[in-house]
Amino acid sequence: MRFMMLMIPKGYETAAPGTVPDAAAVAAMMKYNESLQKAGVLLALDGLHPPSTGARVTFPGGKPKVTDGPFAEAKEVLGGYWMIQVKSREEAIEWASRCPASENEIIEVRQVQEMSDFPPDVQEAAAGFAEMQMKSGHSPGA
Amino acid sequence: MKFMIIMKANKDTEAGVMPSEQALTQMGNFNEELVNAGIMLAGEGLHPSSKGARVKFSGGKPAVTDGPFSETKELIAGFWMWEVKSKEEAVEWAKRIPNPDGTDFEVEIRQVFAAEDFGAEFTPEAREQEERLRERIASKQ
Repeated sequence: MRFMMLMIPKGYETAAPGTVPDAAAVAAMMKYNESLQKAGVLLALDGLHPPSTGARVTFPGGKPKVTDGPFAEAKEVLGGYWMIQVKSREEAIEWASRCPASENEIIEVRQVQEMSDFPPDVQEAAAGFAEMQMKSGHSPGA
Repeated sequence: MKFMIIMKANKDTEAGVMPSEQALTQMGNFNEELVNAGIMLAGEGLHPSSKGARVKFSGGKPAVTDGPFSETKELIAGFWMWEVKSKEEAVEWAKRIPNPDGTDFEVEIRQVFAAEDFGAEFTPEAREQEERLRERIASKQ
């Protein structure tokens, strides 16, 4: 089973462009990342620039509308994620609990949909997606 | 530049409502265009938050709360990872995301950190460790 551990740092919704984590936090996180990797559960990980450099697209009345960040109404935003391959939801929560996170951070643990989770008619309609991911040079979860 | 295109949740995604056949077909075609354009790195959907959990770290101890989580609009339903030349290019592609079911949806476009985005805080040792880690993840696939 694949899970995403979504890192939600409170306060990041108002962080200025160019905000980066400090060296001590990065060092602690790298140790944690290495432990995930050594256990063979780590599939992918990334950090995201603050939302102040991002954009949102909504589709009112079917037409795209672009709003540049920061997003005034946002109460929480994504700071980064890990994609892990584990045997159970409990194992995913166990890994999230070991993260050297600070007081202001929340990790949301969410299972990734696999093709086999869908009913047969949906699987048929989505046929070729896995192949498409292979073609793009990335296996699912990469 | 790598961008994460975050599909925000809505009532339907949180309720586990399956998209229509038309929606799946159009999304399949859109994904194929992304692959053909050489910008698609990954794309995944997530199970509703009712099956998830949150871990908070107040007081230094992890506390686990089971889903669902009430702020539906802040939640994530899925994502794409795209390699493009600029934020503008990512926005242009995002504007073309099909929505035949006419559901209320929002995507958020966020640049992914690369090693060159960090300054001196990211020491040569840390950079090397990061590179090693990524190489080992890549070799697993």
